[in-house]
Amino acid sequence: MMGSGSLLDLRSVSHFFGSRLIFKGVSCVLDPASIMLVAGPNGAGKSTLLKIMAGLLAPRAGSVRRGVPDRSMAFMGHQTFVYPALSALGNLEFWNSVYGRGLDDAGLLGLLDRVGLKGFALEAAGTFSRGMAQRLSLARVLLVEPELLFLDEPSTGLDTASQALLHNELEAARARGAGVVWISHDLERDLGRADTVLQLSGRAMAYFGPAGEFSREAL
Amino acid sequence: MISSTLAIARKDLRLAFAGGQGPVQAVLLGLLLVFIFSLSAAPGERFSPQQAMAIFWLCSSFAVVLIFSLLFRFEEENDTATALLLSPLPVQGLWLGKTLAGLVLLLLCQVFFFPAALVFLGLDPGGNPGGLALMVLGVDLGLCVLGGLIGAMGHGQGAKDALLTIIVFPLQVPLLLGGIRIGVGLMQGVPLAALGDWFGLVLAFDAVFSGAALFLFPHVFRGE
Repeated sequence: MMGSGSLLDLRSVSHFFGSRLIFKGVSCVLDPASIMLVAGPNGAGKSTLLKIMAGLLAPRAGSVRRGVPDRSMAFMGHQTFVYPALSALGNLEFWNSVYGRGLDDAGLLGLLDRVGLKGFALEAAGTFSRGMAQRLSLARVLLVEPELLFLDEPSTGLDTASQALLHNELEAARARGAGVVWISHDLERDLGRADTVLQLSGRAMAYFGPAGEFSREAL
Repeated sequence: MISSTLAIARKDLRLAFAGGQGPVQAVLLGLLLVFIFSLSAAPGERFSPQQAMAIFWLCSSFAVVLIFSLLFRFEEENDTATALLLSPLPVQGLWLGKTLAGLVLLLLCQVFFFPAALVFLGLDPGGNPGGLALMVLGVDLGLCVLGGLIGAMGHGQGAKDALLTIIVFPLQVPLLLGGIRIGVGLMQGVPLAALGDWFGLVLAFDAVFSGAALFLFPHVFRGE
């Protein structure tokens, strides 16, 4: 059972698209300073579940409680959430205003430096490769300093260096007490970083528990 | 919310002018309309004030559709709409920011439409520039309030432009009627006080659709 200090609490969540059941009976808890890996085959509803967790989608049944305000949540997924016609710095300036972070240009350039984009600060994000755009997306996440972070296969299309950067920042987020919900298709690689695993299979939750006790053969 | 709203408006204006485009499409369409209508008059024949003012507002009405289609397209390319919905920005702030950006772009279009209407349609600006500015602001505000709401309705839909066209134009009728009648009155030297009913109609439209947008926009933009 979850404690009152948890970041996320789902109770018996079910969802349908029209009359088609996507999943039912999903219950889980995310504690501070932990990473939850969401696993399951294609079409199991992992992305839908993540959207429900983030509040982008209302579940058809069950309850979702988030223990942090909106300004302490961030989402990183297939889409980079980047405005192509703005520069890398212009993108961060915009999100800085929206989140009311109050960072000056030096602070924003520092974030770009952290993701290896300082040299491209004034270039239009539309000219970036997929990996660079995803790094810019990571800079946006770092700007927010979220207590609750949702990741939907963020490694897709990233080179080894970018993946290492992402993993380092995830570890750093956990170390400062953030909770991470992470959809990954590479369980071999990512299971060791997780504290808990939630597995969706057969339109239901097949497993939720410690990562160390999760059986990969069940997938 | 004010700073976030201004951030949305500023960002949209930067995007609109990125690459030197701006509302070029809307300006060109409006100028083309003015020019084509001007050809319908026989040589030496003048357009009536009603005709000239109706054409001016028709150009503005078409411009609004193009402007808000552009403003909401910005949020589709890399699904930034999702990131905005996850941000602490109140969704109504998003509508307000888009409406503000749309208003600036529409006024910019009218900077081109108005002299074109003076030259090609014989529009007489009259002797009441203050009243004219009040009319333009009142009607433009209504057009943009509605554009911001309906633009969100088409957000993420392939048939967005068709949806905008089908819904926006019929709803705009009372507003455009008010704009035409006030404009004609000002051109003919009618005092502002005598146009109070039409100003009332315009302000009522602005108020009703602002209220409706504040209530409906969050649901519409989330696709609920």
